[in-house]
Amino acid sequence: MDLGAALPLLLLASSLIPALVIFVLPEDATATRRVINLVGAVVKVALVGVLVVGVFAGQEYEWRAALLPGIDLVLRVDAIPLLFVFLSALLWLTTTVYAIGYLERYAQRSRFFGFFSLCVTATVGVALAGNLVTFLVFYELLTVTTYPLIVHRGHDDARAGGRAYLLYTVGGGAVLLVGIAWLHSLAGAIEFGDTAAMADLAAAHPTASTAIFALLVAGLGVKAALVPLHGWLPRAMVAAAPVSALLHAVAVVKAGAYGIVRVVYDLYGLRLADDLGVLVPLAGVAAATIVFGSLRALVQDDLKRRLAYSTVSQLSYIVLGISIVGVVTTTGGLVHLVHQGIMKVTLFYCAGNLYQSLGVRRVSEMRGVGRRLPLTMGAFTVAALGMIGIPPTAGFVTKWYLGIGAAKAGQPWVLAILVVSSLLNAAYFLPPIALAWFRAPDGAWAEQPPPTSRLEIDAWHLLPPVATGASVLVLGLLAGAPLSPLSWAQLIAEEIFARP
Amino acid sequence: MTTALWLLPVLLPLAAAGAALLPLRGRGWLLPLAPLPALALGVLGAPGPPPELPWLLLDVRLLLDPLSRVLLVLTALLYVAAGAYARTRPGPDRGFAALLLLTMAGNLGLLLAGDAVSFYALFAVMTVAAYGLVVHDRTPLALRAGRVYIALAVLGEVAIFSGLVLAVQAAGSAELADLPRAVGGAAHRDLIVGLLLAGFGVKAGIVPLHLWLPLAHPAAPVPASAVLSGAMIKAGLVGWLRTLPLGEAALPGWSSGLIILGIVTAFAGIAIGLTQRDPKANLAYSSVSQMGMIAVLVGVGLGTPEAAGLAATGAAIYALHHGFAKGALFLGVGIVKLESDRRRHRWQLAGLGLAALSLAGLPLTSGALAKVALKDALGLVPQDWASLVVLALSFAAAGTTALMGRLLLLVARPAATGRAGAALVAPWIAVLLAVGGATWVLPGALLPDPLRVTLSAGAVWDGLWPVGLGAAAVAVGALLARRRAPALPEVPAGDVVVVAEAAGRRLGSVWSGRVSPTAAGAARRLRALKHAAYLVVLPGGGVDRLDRRLTRWRTAGVLFAVVTGVLLWLVPAAPG
Repeated sequence: MDLGAALPLLLLASSLIPALVIFVLPEDATATRRVINLVGAVVKVALVGVLVVGVFAGQEYEWRAALLPGIDLVLRVDAIPLLFVFLSALLWLTTTVYAIGYLERYAQRSRFFGFFSLCVTATVGVALAGNLVTFLVFYELLTVTTYPLIVHRGHDDARAGGRAYLLYTVGGGAVLLVGIAWLHSLAGAIEFGDTAAMADLAAAHPTASTAIFALLVAGLGVKAALVPLHGWLPRAMVAAAPVSALLHAVAVVKAGAYGIVRVVYDLYGLRLADDLGVLVPLAGVAAATIVFGSLRALVQDDLKRRLAYSTVSQLSYIVLGISIVGVVTTTGGLVHLVHQGIMKVTLFYCAGNLYQSLGVRRVSEMRGVGRRLPLTMGAFTVAALGMIGIPPTAGFVTKWYLGIGAAKAGQPWVLAILVVSSLLNAAYFLPPIALAWFRAPDGAWAEQPPPTSRLEIDAWHLLPPVATGASVLVLGLLAGAPLSPLSWAQLIAEEIFARP
Repeated sequence: MTTALWLLPVLLPLAAAGAALLPLRGRGWLLPLAPLPALALGVLGAPGPPPELPWLLLDVRLLLDPLSRVLLVLTALLYVAAGAYARTRPGPDRGFAALLLLTMAGNLGLLLAGDAVSFYALFAVMTVAAYGLVVHDRTPLALRAGRVYIALAVLGEVAIFSGLVLAVQAAGSAELADLPRAVGGAAHRDLIVGLLLAGFGVKAGIVPLHLWLPLAHPAAPVPASAVLSGAMIKAGLVGWLRTLPLGEAALPGWSSGLIILGIVTAFAGIAIGLTQRDPKANLAYSSVSQMGMIAVLVGVGLGTPEAAGLAATGAAIYALHHGFAKGALFLGVGIVKLESDRRRHRWQLAGLGLAALSLAGLPLTSGALAKVALKDALGLVPQDWASLVVLALSFAAAGTTALMGRLLLLVARPAATGRAGAALVAPWIAVLLAVGGATWVLPGALLPDPLRVTLSAGAVWDGLWPVGLGAAAVAVGALLARRRAPALPEVPAGDVVVVAEAAGRRLGSVWSGRVSPTAAGAARRLRALKHAAYLVVLPGGGVDRLDRRLTRWRTAGVLFAVVTGVLLWLVPAAPG
């Protein structure tokens, strides 16, 4: 097997093998488990590095094997998948570090880390899928492997959250399956990137094409938390902080948004989607979701619930960017895949630190926490300002591109949505920041003497949010640099619009 | 090397903000030293062609024109003085120093920004960091000031964001140099101008967007108020001058609107300021009033393209004058309130009086030059009402004199104990020297068409009578006050905010049933309001219920089935 075909498989193996090994490890082999986890995560980042250089140089990476007669399993790396794999590999590394620290007190760690690695394997599979069937296989695998992580603690709340999660996502998967089956019955296997085949189909069956689009997006919209399919997300936040972090940043919700990206750009093609008129309702749904999610976030006192509704809102920035036709909005939507992930993962790490170290779970309990956890709250502040879109953070870059693109496309109403969303984001993210830094500490934790250690919390808990929080700033400040996610997204957008 | 010299004015305060958080010895010196590269750049001029930094943010461009040089000198000097003053503050105020340095980085940097994105970014850094300065004392008053400040600031930010996005889109470039022309010819011209006027107007403190100013400036510690009032609110003016189509288009509607608002602002600031008992609130309202006069100049530029250059120059001079005078007044008030020694207190009052007279525009002071600028610009306006505006502004100058007289009366008594040390007084004296000198030296050296400054009898008379009138008013007022208690009720600082808060509290207590509304009509209106609010977000309200309903199993399942069914039914003829 040549290197071009081996690399995609290696990328999967770098988390699949750790998963299998960890499952058979005894519970108390903590050190071995840590080493395996970290080696896997570092190897994956290194592999992605190789791929980035290769794809940039025009190299092709593809692996395929027959699944059923006429249907191949295809893993292919090109520009759009690379953006997603890059994000997953990096955040898997930081989240692994974080989870190692966080899970210290929990039971059943082998089970947890086994499924954790499987979950990432599935995410990478989703990213690299070269056709809808491959996508579906890994997408469903993701659903299944995430469930044990959500219910890991096993109490009633966790199980209820897990149930909600399963009902929604399995339902969504079923709708997706119907859409894919229908498509296959009409046109056979269509690979991502083969938009000409889809255009032929649409010429013959315009109504069916529209309906299939609706089915696919509805199925994907469950994971992407489009209103009214978002109900599972706030309930699934009962999971432990590292799981929520992964769930909200790279794994589940991102798989949904990413699926919509692939369907629009690589299956239908932007032009066809525009001609069919399916993008306008999609933009409407995205806009409604943005505002609705923020309105709900506004009244949540539970920090993680607030973050969950904020995810509902922020994910639709991606969908909105996709559904407004233009190079600039496309760039904005694609780059938000990365930006939203890094900002949200930071916020969940910080929420986890607040809980682990001070027992704080509610916004109203956050008075003075900045004094005890300055670096954590520094990262929180940067990421939250990014969510509002205040420069020079990564979130601002997204907002600026969406705004300029919308004005260019002659759709200034999008600007109004951005303004409303920024105001709402400010209304629910500024109060916790102000409480944390500018109020005197009160609450049970304030009575305890501060820990005597040099760090505010152990390094496993501290390094991940500091690293991701810093990158929220760096991604904004160096947005114009070559190989930044923004330039990458720009290249992709230009390529999409250069297609015949 | 050149790139470093260009970037140092921002990088040094940023690095210093980081260093200020570390437990270093002598870190207090970071505050007065960090603005020095900016000061050097302002005084010496560009060290070479501006570097292009495409990798930074979204392609950063820099520029150094006369406007940025004049304001760099002002801003940097004020931060040096405020930093030196703040250095002596007791206690390990690490957070305060870091936030002051961050504010400084933004405030200095935005003057050098040559593209809309970096301008907006540095503006935002300044705005957000300054929140920490406002609430620094953590008193209920400071926290309330902070709430009003940040609410208006966020509204301003989104207005600026949308305005800039539309302007940049129209220009096809993010360079600030391209914006005014593009805005002048843009399809959404009025929308853009409105957004930018309002967005930057929040910072400039134009009525009715001034609400945060009289709350925030008194609440902040003295050095912070000095830079907030002296330097930061000028950033709003810079925003206007950089983005509005001055000289590119005649916008009579916006022009007269802004001139009227400016005059209203000028008089409202004086009227409300006169009733204040807190000297810093008095000064804050005076800033509101002075920014009104600057707004008049911008308004003139918007309506009469031929006068735009002169109006912009005048606005820059006015900003320079007001910045130094107000900085000196805030620092001075901090000093005289500390001093118990009679003799020293009297000298300090004299210094304060000097700054006050300059603010009022006494001939030979920087204020007089600023007034000449104002009148020259208005002289180019062809319409008849221009002379009325000049007259109104002369009365505003009389009002300013009265306001300053009231300020001196408020601080006339020495403190019971305490003493303002040399470390506090020295930076203040430096700013006082700048009040006397900078406005005369700088504009001539820097601005393209230095103003004709005449010391003719007419000009002196023009400058003198308002001051005399104001002084007479103060004397009369002081005499009356000695006879009986002053009849003037104090307008609470923050004026309209207070009314809104009171209404909100009343509504809140009616809402929760603590107080029953008196009339049936009021009850009905309240019910309607409650319904409206429920429709929005309250827990248990419409959005909440909608969310619950949407996320119930049965609904979700039925929705799925319905959607799928409808889609399948839509295409019955799909061949297999």
